[in-house]
Order: sequence, then structure tokens, then C-alpha cells
Amino acid sequence: MTAPQPPGDAPFDCWYLAAGSNEVTDELTSRRLLGRQVLLYRQRDGRVVALDDRCAHRALPLSLGRLVDDRVICRYHGFTYDGTGACVQVPSQEHVPYGTQVASYPVREEGAVVWIWLGDPRRAGSAAPPRTPWLHDEAWSVLGGIRTVAAGYLLLHENALDRTHFAYVHPDTSHRGYLEGPPPLEIEVTETSVSYARTFPAAPLAAWQSAATGLPPDTRAVQHESGVFVSPALHVDHMRIEADGAVFRTAFVRAFTPVDPGVTRVHWWSARDWAPGDRTVDEILHRVHERTMEEDEPLLEAIQATVDRDGPGRRVNAAADAASVRAEQIVRRLVDEEQPRRLT
Amino acid sequence: MTAAEPTTAMATIYSEHVSELVVAGREPVADGVVSLVLEHPDGAELPTWTPGAHVDLLLVPDLTRQYSLCGSPSDLTRWRVGVLLDHGGRGGSRHVHEQLEVGSRLRVRGPRNHFPLVASERYLFVAGGIGITPLLPMVAQAEQAGADWTLYYGGRRRGSMAFLDELAAYGDRVVLRPEDEFGLLDLATILEPQPGTAVYSCGPEALLQAVEQHSAAWPPGSLHVERFAAKPVDEGAEATTFEVVCQRSGITVTVPADRSILEVVQDAGVNALSSCLEGVCGTCETPVVEGTPDHRDSLLSDEEKAAGDYMMICVSRSNSARLVLDL
Repeated sequence: MTAPQPPGDAPFDCWYLAAGSNEVTDELTSRRLLGRQVLLYRQRDGRVVALDDRCAHRALPLSLGRLVDDRVICRYHGFTYDGTGACVQVPSQEHVPYGTQVASYPVREEGAVVWIWLGDPRRAGSAAPPRTPWLHDEAWSVLGGIRTVAAGYLLLHENALDRTHFAYVHPDTSHRGYLEGPPPLEIEVTETSVSYARTFPAAPLAAWQSAATGLPPDTRAVQHESGVFVSPALHVDHMRIEADGAVFRTAFVRAFTPVDPGVTRVHWWSARDWAPGDRTVDEILHRVHERTMEEDEPLLEAIQATVDRDGPGRRVNAAADAASVRAEQIVRRLVDEEQPRRLT
Repeated sequence: MTAAEPTTAMATIYSEHVSELVVAGREPVADGVVSLVLEHPDGAELPTWTPGAHVDLLLVPDLTRQYSLCGSPSDLTRWRVGVLLDHGGRGGSRHVHEQLEVGSRLRVRGPRNHFPLVASERYLFVAGGIGITPLLPMVAQAEQAGADWTLYYGGRRRGSMAFLDELAAYGDRVVLRPEDEFGLLDLATILEPQPGTAVYSCGPEALLQAVEQHSAAWPPGSLHVERFAAKPVDEGAEATTFEVVCQRSGITVTVPADRSILEVVQDAGVNALSSCLEGVCGTCETPVVEGTPDHRDSLLSDEEKAAGDYMMICVSRSNSARLVLDL
């Protein structure tokens, strides 16, 4: 099998996160997504537009131009494009050269997320963007951030599906069950997803959990953790703490968007149905999530650097890698399907 | 610091997703064919799927039957299957026809897909009888994607051919060929090689074998078929004994001539998914690390078999004395 073009291991026919809703305004924004430079802006009617960020005339990024009345005017010669990518005005002459336009990408905005389809636009209707109800439910408090990691998006998925590195990489913030031999991990597969789930019997909370929930440090809580590879674009983890009749539910949502080969943009949110609007809790959760990612990222970046330098080589899988092996199979099939062998 | 390394040994239970569903709709769609609409009792979303996917209906213990999903993949609240009553069958379709009614509960495993629709500018679909079911969402997607496509749909007679009303919307892209009016599908003409066209066929074994014969001159990789039952195995193939190393689990087993790899590794405690045990459903697809598989399934294409990267361990065996599998 010949390697597909960059980013190679990512299917184009998939809804990826282009931006958080609040990032797209009437200012022109340029963003690199799956090896393409994409211009994003919001029209006056609220709709988000995504165009190839490159003037059809002399390749100047359109993001250097201006937005006037929902139209983008190129900084160089004033070529003007509407929200469909069609060039509607060329100031130096009466008519627009026939067929002048830039690519326009299908976009869907749902709650806090702007999703983009960078593949064949005619296939965009064949799948719906993944749903993230916790991010736009008033009963849930949401915080989050954006990170860029010098590692391929599959390494991030693999890391998210892997529970066996916790004791090594996150010993201070993990459930102590990880240090003492955790209960069985249940992995479930469907055609398009992989999920894991496990319930830890009643045990003391980690220090940050006690601080965040306000439960006394010696509280013995049952913890249920689960996570799902929703699509190549999204991984969602759920944590449920049950103690003294109270239930604390948290969703840790991570959109992994390939930027270029070996570079991934991570847009993350932590949503909870407890301590609504409590800034102290926000800070604790923000810190622990950031810390977890800061602990993982140098390792993933070192793996990427090694593979880039010395080639992919052959990898041995451990028994506990079943979930990530399956996720890779799903991705491989998606990539194969959209780049079929040449039937000629 | 002399603390012991952390113990992270953990058991893993690996399984396919099972949904507890309710029959929300049931209607006859042709002579001997009912369609069932399945939903989550509380309206929750179902796992996503793509055209060509199928599910296992877990009807009663030891009665599991596979049916293609034939509704719309973008509707996450319901699945639809079409079931032909097979009087000569093993009782699965009779159970569906006689026991399941609106309100019935049942467990459904999957979906999984070993008949995925590859991107193409042109498609040729060939359906025989109830083999129309996986092709319904395919033609819908081909139409939506603006592809050039034609469906040839054969059946005994019009009254036995399901979903004709839905297909009518596509006009002359759909060519109906009931046998009592037109005779058998003229595959020699239908399957004149056309470059850049993907062929998808599903139906009875006789049709699929004929489609395979008539597609011999097509570019490799053009033809995609889905079987309801296992392809007849070459009688000359002899079973031998060989060794299987399960690399992830660290277990080595010997597979005797009269047992499958799947049976032997499961007995040894290896977590391996499986469903049909006939080499048709693809649940047990396993990456091959080393060795040469003796493919006996009905799923992998000739090129995939030659590549030897994956195998169906419920039926396939080994041509080398030792196979190393990613299990």
C-alpha cells in the first residue's frame, strides 16, 4: 500500500474540529488543518465560512485582506470573494475571469464547536459531526484550552485509549487503583468506535479529587471511568465519582485535529455537572488536566521524533493495547475507503 | 529510591457492543420479507455505521443471525433490517417472522462492516433477492455523492422483490429484472469491464459465483461482494497441524487438524472476538505478524489474501508451520 499524502494517516472524509465557536468572529482567521491552510470567519447572519486561504490570483493568503459586508477582499489587488468562495469582483476589470473561485469547505456549528469537512464535499452529508452535549448544556460547567503537540494525532488517540501508562506517567493524579492492580478493563467495539470502561471499588480519592469535590480526604468513593474513540476527530472520557449518595460526573472532551504530519492541535474541554460556576473548582480541574497533558506530551513528541528520524519500524503490542489496535484498524479502513486502489 | 515498579497488570475484557433494543416498526415489504425498525427503548442514540454494515440479532440463546442495516446511516435513532423468511433455514428468519412484533425486545450486537463502500466516481450494483438490503444505503450514498451509478436488481418476481417503492425514486438508474419476466440477470452484458467503476454485489451464492466469474477481466480490486453464507470450501484442501503464537498475550498453542485457531486460542484464555464461525462476518479479523495464512474465509479480496496482513481465525489456517498473530 502506498502512503497517502500528508497527513497520510488521517482520513479527509471526517468532521474535524476547525475551531471553538468563540474563536470564529468577523475577523479573518487562518488555521492549518490536515495540511491545508483554511480561512475562517463569521458572516453577519451568524454562519461560519471556511475557504481555502489563498487568493486564486497571486496566492496571497486571503487572511491578510479585509472582510467587508461578508466578502473577503484580497490585500494585494482587491480580488473579492463571497462566502461560497466565488470571486465576485476584480477591481482592475469589468468582469470576473470565468470560474474564478477558491475552495469552500462544508462547516457545521454545534454548540461550542465548529466542525469542518475537508474531504470530498459531496460526501459531507454521509456522516454527522460527533455530538458533544455536555459542552452546551446549562447544567454543566465547562472549562478548557487549546494545545499544539508535535506528535501525530494517532499517537494522541493511542495515549487517550491507553490506561497502562498512568502508573508510570501520572502517578500523583491517578486513581490509586492504578498503582495497586486495577479491576478489569472492559473494551467494547462497534464499526466506527472503541470504548473502554472500568469501575473501581470504593477507595480513597486522589488529593485533587477531594479538593475539587469538597469531599473529605478520607472519603471512600466508587469511581467509574470510561472513554470512547468517537471518530478520528474526537476522544471523550467520562469520570463518575459516587460517595455518600452524591454523584459527580465529569466529561473530558478532546478534539484531535491533524495540523500537518506529526503535528496535532488539541482542543480540550472539561465539563462537570457539579459545583457549577465555582472558580476554585475550575482552577483545580484546569490545573490537573493541563498537568496530565504536560506529562504525556514530551513522551509523545519524543516518540514522533524517533519515528521521524529512524522510520516507523515494527511495533510490538501488549495485551492491554487491544483498544488502540482496534482504533488504528478503524482509521486504516477509513483511509483505504477514500483512497481506493486505482481501478484502471 | 527502592520502591518496586508499579504493578499495572490488568485484565482486559474485549467484546463487541450489544444494544438492548425494541422493535418500533414491523411491516411486510415483499412476499416473505418483513422489515423491522429497531430503536433504543429510551430513544438514545445508536452506534454509528456506514453503508454495507450488518448487525447480529441475538434472538434466543444459540440463535444469532446477521442482517444488513438498510436504513439511513445519518439517522442515529433507528436501525432497519429486512428479513426474508427462509423455510429451509436454521430457524433464525422464522423466529423473526413469527416471534418478533412491535414492542418486542431483543439484543443486537454490532454493527460491523466488511462490505464498505469505497469512494468512486462510478458504481455498478448487482443485487439478487434479499441481497438488496446492504445495497440500499449504498445507492443512497452514491446518489448523494453525485456518483454515476446503476443498480441491477434481480429476483424471482416483482412481488418477491423488497423495497421497490423506495428504489422507484431513482428512476432509470435502477434496472429491475424479475426472473419470471426477464429470465436470469444478463451478467455477461452487465459486467462488461468498465475502468474506474466499483462493483458491489450481494445475493445468493449462485449469483455471487456468476458475478465473480464474469468479473474476472475487471481490474483487481473492482469487485466487492457480501455473502450470506460461507463460500463453499475447496474439497481438496486438507487440514494440518500448526503452531500459533499469540504475541500480545504471550501464549503459544498448537492447532490440531480438527480444530480452528479461534477455538484453540479461546481455550487458552486469549480474548478474541468472533461471531459467525463461518468466515463471513469478519468479527475475528486478526493481524498477522509472521507466517503465511491459508485463507478460507469468504471476505478478504484476492489481493488482501495475497498480502497476508490479516486473517479470519474462525476458519482460516496456516500454510507455514508457525503463525504469529497480534492477539
